[in-house]
Amino acid sequence: MSLSRCWRRALRMTAVRLRVRVRCDSSVSSAAGPVDTIYALSSGQGRCGVAVVRVSGPAAGGALRSVAGLSRALPAPRTALLRSILNPQTNEVLDRGLVLWFPGPHSFTGEDIAEFHIHGGPAVINGVLQALGSLPGLRPAEAGEFTQRAFHAGKLDLTEVEGLGDLIHAETEAQRRQALRQMAGDLGQLYNDWSQRLKRCLAHVEAFIDFSEGDLIEDGVLNQVDLDVPQLQMEIENHLCDERRGERLRSGVQVVIAGSTNVGKSSLFNILCQRPAAIVSPIAGTTRDIVETSLDIGGFPVLLSDTAGLRDTGDCVEKEGVRRARHMVELADVTLVLVDSTQLPQEPPMVSGFLREYLMNVLPSGNNYKQQRLLILNKIDLLPKEHISAIQNVLTQTSDLAPVCILSCHSREGLERFLTLLQDRLKTLCGDPLAGSPSLTQTRHRAHLQNCVEALNQYYQYRNVDLALAAEGLRLGLSSLGRITGKVGAEEILDVIFRDFCIGK
Amino acid sequence: MLPVRRLLAQPRFPSFSLARSSSNSSHKRYDVIVVGGGHAGTEAAAAATRIGAETLLITQKIQTIGALSCNPSMGGIGKGHLVKEVDALDGLMGRAGDYAGVHFSILNRRKGPAVWGPRAQLDRSRYKEFIQSELLNMPRLTVIEGSVEGLLVSAADPEQPGKHRVTGVRMADGGDKILCSSVVLTTGTFLSGSLFMGRTTSPGGRMGEAPSCAGLSHSLKEVLGLKLGRLKTGTPPRIIRETVNFSLTQLQLPDPQPTPFSFINTHTHCKPEEQIPCHLTVTTPGVDRVVRESLPVNSHVQQDTKGPRYCPSIESRVLRFPGRQHQVWLEPEGLNSDLIYPQGLSMTMPPELQLRLIREIPALSQAEIHTPGYGVQYDFVCPTQLFPWLQLKSVQGLFLAGQINGTTGYEEAAAQVPVFPLRACGRGVNAGRTALSLPPLSLSRTESYIGVLIDDLVVHGVTEPYRMFTSRAEFRTSLRPDNADLRLTPKGREEIGCVSQHRYQEAVRVQQGLTEALSTLNSISLSPPCWREKLSDVGISENKSTLISGEEMLLYTDVSFSMLASTFPDLLSPYLEFAERIKIEAVYRPHCEKQQREMERMREEESLSLPPDFDYFSQQVSLSNEVREILDRARPSTLGAAMRLKGVTPAATVHLLNYVTKTDRKTRGK
Repeated sequence: MSLSRCWRRALRMTAVRLRVRVRCDSSVSSAAGPVDTIYALSSGQGRCGVAVVRVSGPAAGGALRSVAGLSRALPAPRTALLRSILNPQTNEVLDRGLVLWFPGPHSFTGEDIAEFHIHGGPAVINGVLQALGSLPGLRPAEAGEFTQRAFHAGKLDLTEVEGLGDLIHAETEAQRRQALRQMAGDLGQLYNDWSQRLKRCLAHVEAFIDFSEGDLIEDGVLNQVDLDVPQLQMEIENHLCDERRGERLRSGVQVVIAGSTNVGKSSLFNILCQRPAAIVSPIAGTTRDIVETSLDIGGFPVLLSDTAGLRDTGDCVEKEGVRRARHMVELADVTLVLVDSTQLPQEPPMVSGFLREYLMNVLPSGNNYKQQRLLILNKIDLLPKEHISAIQNVLTQTSDLAPVCILSCHSREGLERFLTLLQDRLKTLCGDPLAGSPSLTQTRHRAHLQNCVEALNQYYQYRNVDLALAAEGLRLGLSSLGRITGKVGAEEILDVIFRDFCIGK
Repeated sequence: MLPVRRLLAQPRFPSFSLARSSSNSSHKRYDVIVVGGGHAGTEAAAAATRIGAETLLITQKIQTIGALSCNPSMGGIGKGHLVKEVDALDGLMGRAGDYAGVHFSILNRRKGPAVWGPRAQLDRSRYKEFIQSELLNMPRLTVIEGSVEGLLVSAADPEQPGKHRVTGVRMADGGDKILCSSVVLTTGTFLSGSLFMGRTTSPGGRMGEAPSCAGLSHSLKEVLGLKLGRLKTGTPPRIIRETVNFSLTQLQLPDPQPTPFSFINTHTHCKPEEQIPCHLTVTTPGVDRVVRESLPVNSHVQQDTKGPRYCPSIESRVLRFPGRQHQVWLEPEGLNSDLIYPQGLSMTMPPELQLRLIREIPALSQAEIHTPGYGVQYDFVCPTQLFPWLQLKSVQGLFLAGQINGTTGYEEAAAQVPVFPLRACGRGVNAGRTALSLPPLSLSRTESYIGVLIDDLVVHGVTEPYRMFTSRAEFRTSLRPDNADLRLTPKGREEIGCVSQHRYQEAVRVQQGLTEALSTLNSISLSPPCWREKLSDVGISENKSTLISGEEMLLYTDVSFSMLASTFPDLLSPYLEFAERIKIEAVYRPHCEKQQREMERMREEESLSLPPDFDYFSQQVSLSNEVREILDRARPSTLGAAMRLKGVTPAATVHLLNYVTKTDRKTRGK
C-alpha cells in the first residue's frame, strides 16, 4: 500500500524526536537528509469562493517567487499581497489572488510555507496545482503530511498524538476510498497492467543476476526485457502527454442509496434528480445495475447512485447487481440506507435492534470508520400516526444508530427535513479537505508516473555496463508505480522467477 | 561414561593457561555451550571465544568438525556476499575458503560489482583441516565429543522476558550435566532427521552418522512448547572420478588469478596454476524416463514436506519442467580426491535406479557410484519465535543458529552467528537495554546481507528452506561484496568486540586510503579539452563544457584508476593497491547517496524497540482487535519490524508508539 510509506515517514520523524529525547546523551544525530517540498489544496472541494493552496518545505520560497512572478524579494512575512498567479513554464496567467509567506520556524509545519488564496473554480485550482508540480523539488503531499510535519517540528505535543492516530485513520481511509474509486475503472486497470509488466521485467533481470551462471536461463530473457521496458516507458509517457486519454474523473461527493429490495430506493433517487431517471415498480428487484447521475444539491457537487436491492438471489444478473451495489457502498462518501417502515417490528422497543442489524447487513463489514450515513424510514404514509410517534420516541433514546429521517417518497412528507440533513452532511464533507479531490489524486499519480519514467531511463543507461545498476532503475520505477498500485515485495519477485524458470543450481 | 575426548587448546598466552588449569574440572561452568560442529556451530564457538567467553563446543565426532556435508564449494551470488560479511566480522569461513579452495572464480563478473559472486570449489580435507586447527587452538575454547540429550531449564528471571531460563545441558547415556549461562543450538538437519533412499527410511541427519537429538527435539517441543516445522533437502550420489568420460563434457576453467574471500588475505593458499577445472554436461530424455519410472519407489518425492524451489532434486526438476535439458556440473571433491560431485543430480531413488539414471548421461555412461544420493527430512524451529539476536523469545539464554532456523546452505548457517555472541555471553545485556531504549545488538537490513537474512527469518518466518539471493536486499547497491569490511569491521570491533586488532587496523587503513584517494581525485579538476589531451581514447562528449573532476572521470566505463594514476603519478600512485575499489566507489557513490535517506528511515524505525512482553490486548492502547492479534502473534522486536507486518496500519503504529512512549516515561520517572 503506497500510503504506508508516508506514514512510515511520520513515524520515522516521531522516532527521531523520541529517540533524541530518550537518549539525550547519545551522539547519534537524526540525519534525516534533505526534505521534499510538498503542496496541496488545503481548503475543501466543491463550490467555494476562495481556495487555499499551501506549499511547505525548503523550496516553498522559490515556488512562491516563480508562481507569483516575484523576481527578487519575498513578500513581508505574514502579509497578504495581491499578485497574478503564473504558470512558470508558459508565463500564462492562471488567476489573480493573494499570496502569503510564512518563513519557518514560525509556521504551521515549522518549515517555510507559501500560501496561495485563489478563486475556487476547478480549472483555476487544477492549473495552480499543475504549475507547482512542474517546479523542481516539489511533489504533491500525501494525506496528512502537513500535520505530520507539524508534529515533527514539535508544533503538536505528544499528548496530541492520540488524536493524530485517529486523524491518520480518517485521512488514509478517505484517500483509500478516493483511490479505490479511480482504481475501479479503466485507469486502475491500466496502472495495474503496467505494474504487472514492470514486475515481470524486474523479475527476469533479477533472475538473470541471481541465477544465470550455471543455470539454464535462456539468453533471450534480457532481449525481451529490452523490448518491454521502452514499450512500457512509451505508454506511460503517452499517457502523461495526452490529458484526454485518461478516464474522465468523476468529481463530487459520492452519495449511494442502498437497502433491501422494494423499499423505495429508486423512488427517492427520482425525487432527488427531479426526473424519472430510474424505473420504479412494485416488483422487487427492478433495479439491477447501478444508475448514476450528477447533481447539484445546495451548491455541492454530488454523484448520486441508485443500486440494486440487497438480497440473496439465484438470478445471476441480479446477483451481479447486488455485488455491484455492495461495491458502490464500499466506495461511498455518504450512504443513504433506506428502510421500508411497514417492515419494522410491531413492538416499538424492538425497532432499534432491527435497524442495527439492518445497517450491519447493508454497510461494508469490518469497516469501523464512521462513514457518513443516513438511515431513512420510507413509506410512513402507510403507518398510523401514533405508531410513527412511538417509533420516533424509541429512536431518540437510541444514540448509536445513524441519524434517522422519517419520510414518504409517495406523499413527500418529511422530505424537507431530509434534504436539510443531507445538505448538512455535504457541507461537512465538502468543507473538509480530507474529502479527496480527484484532481489532487490525479496530480499525485502524475508525479509518481513521471518518477517511474525517469527511473526507467537508468535501465538503458546501465544496461550494457552494470546490470545491478540497470536493475536498480527498474526497482525504482516499480516502487514509484507501487505508490499507486501497491508495493511489490521481494517475495513476489522470487515467485515470478521460480514460476518462469527452472532454477537448478 | 562416554568416551569424552577432551582437546585442550595449545594456550597462546600464559595467563590463559593458568586460568584454565585452575578451573579444569568436569564441573566447570561455561559462559557459552555450543551444540553442533557444523558451519553455524564452529563459527558460533569461535565468535564467542573471540569476545572472551569461556566456551564449550559439543559435537558427536570431533573428526567431522568442518565437514562439508553436501557440495564441495562455497560462495556464489548472494552467498558470496555472506562469506565476505562473515569474514569482515572476523569469522572463519572466508579464510578457510582461501586455504581450501582449488578453483576460484567470480561469478557475474560482467554484471556489476554489486552482484559479483565470489565462489570457490573446495578441497574437503583441507577445509576440515583448517577449521579444526583453528578451533582446536583457540584459547578459552574446549571441544568435547558427545550427544546432548536435553536442556536444563529453570524458572525465568522475572526482570527479563521469557517463560524459562536455560542453565545448561544434560549429556546422553546418563552423562554429566554441564552448566552454563547460554546455550547455542546448531544441530542442522539432525533435529528428528530422517534419511530417505528409495522406499527405505532411517533416522539420522547425515549418512554414516548416528542419529541424535531425539531428546533435544523432545525438550524443544514438549518442555519448551516451541512451534516446529519440517523441511527437506537432499544430496547427489558421489561418482568415481576415473569412470567419467570427461571428453564428452565442456571444460570450465577457474579465474586465471584467484581472488581470495578474506579481506586480510592477499592471495589464496592454492597457486593460480595449481587450480583444477570443473566440467559441465546435460541431462537427456533417458534421465526423464528413469525419474518417472522411479516415482512409485521414491517416498521422499511423494511426501509433501517443503523442499527448496531453487536447489531441487533432479526428480522435482524433471517433474516441474519436463522435456528439458538440465545442467549437471561435475565438481572435483578435492585435489587428491578420486570422487566427483555431480551438482544438479541430487536424488532419492533406490541406488540401482540412481546408477541407471546417471548412465543415461553420455559422459557418465560407464560411471560407477561411490556413495548413493539420499534425501533428508528434518525439524526446524519456526524462526518467528526468535529475537533478531537469535535468542528464543520464550527462553532466556537459549540461542539457535543455522539450518535449525529453516535456512539452507553453509554460508547462510555461518552468517547467522555474528549477531549474538554478545548477548549469549551475558555481556551488553543490562537493565537499561529494555523497552524503548538502545537499539538491540543486531545487524540491520540497511547495513548487511546478514541483517536481511535475519530480519526475513524472524519477521516473516520460512515456508521453504531459506537461501540468500541478491534480490532480497533492497539496498543492494550499497551492500556490495567489495565494501563488506568498511560496513562491518569497525562495528564488529567497536560494538560487538568480535574483531581482532589486526583486522580492525587493516580496515581502518583501507578506509583511510579510499577516502584520501577519492578526495585527491576530486582535487584534480580539468576542462574537457585537457582531459581529451591526457586520455585520448576516452569519448568525452563534445558539448560538455564544465570542469570534470578525477572522480567524475571514473564514471566513464573505459577509464580505470590506473589510467588516471599513470597520468598523475605523483598524486595517485600511492593508492594503486586500491585501484579496483576506488573505481567501484566512484561509480556507485551517487547511487548509494540516493539510498541514504531510505536507509536512515529504516534505521530510525528499527531503533525503537518494543518490549518483548508487551500486552497487546491491554485496553490502554487503542488498537483494533485484528491488529492486536497480528502483533501478539508476531511479537515484533522493533517498530520497524511491526510496520513490515501485513495488516498493521499506520494509525495502529502511532497508537503503539504513543503508548510505549508514555509507559517508558512513567517507568523512567520512577
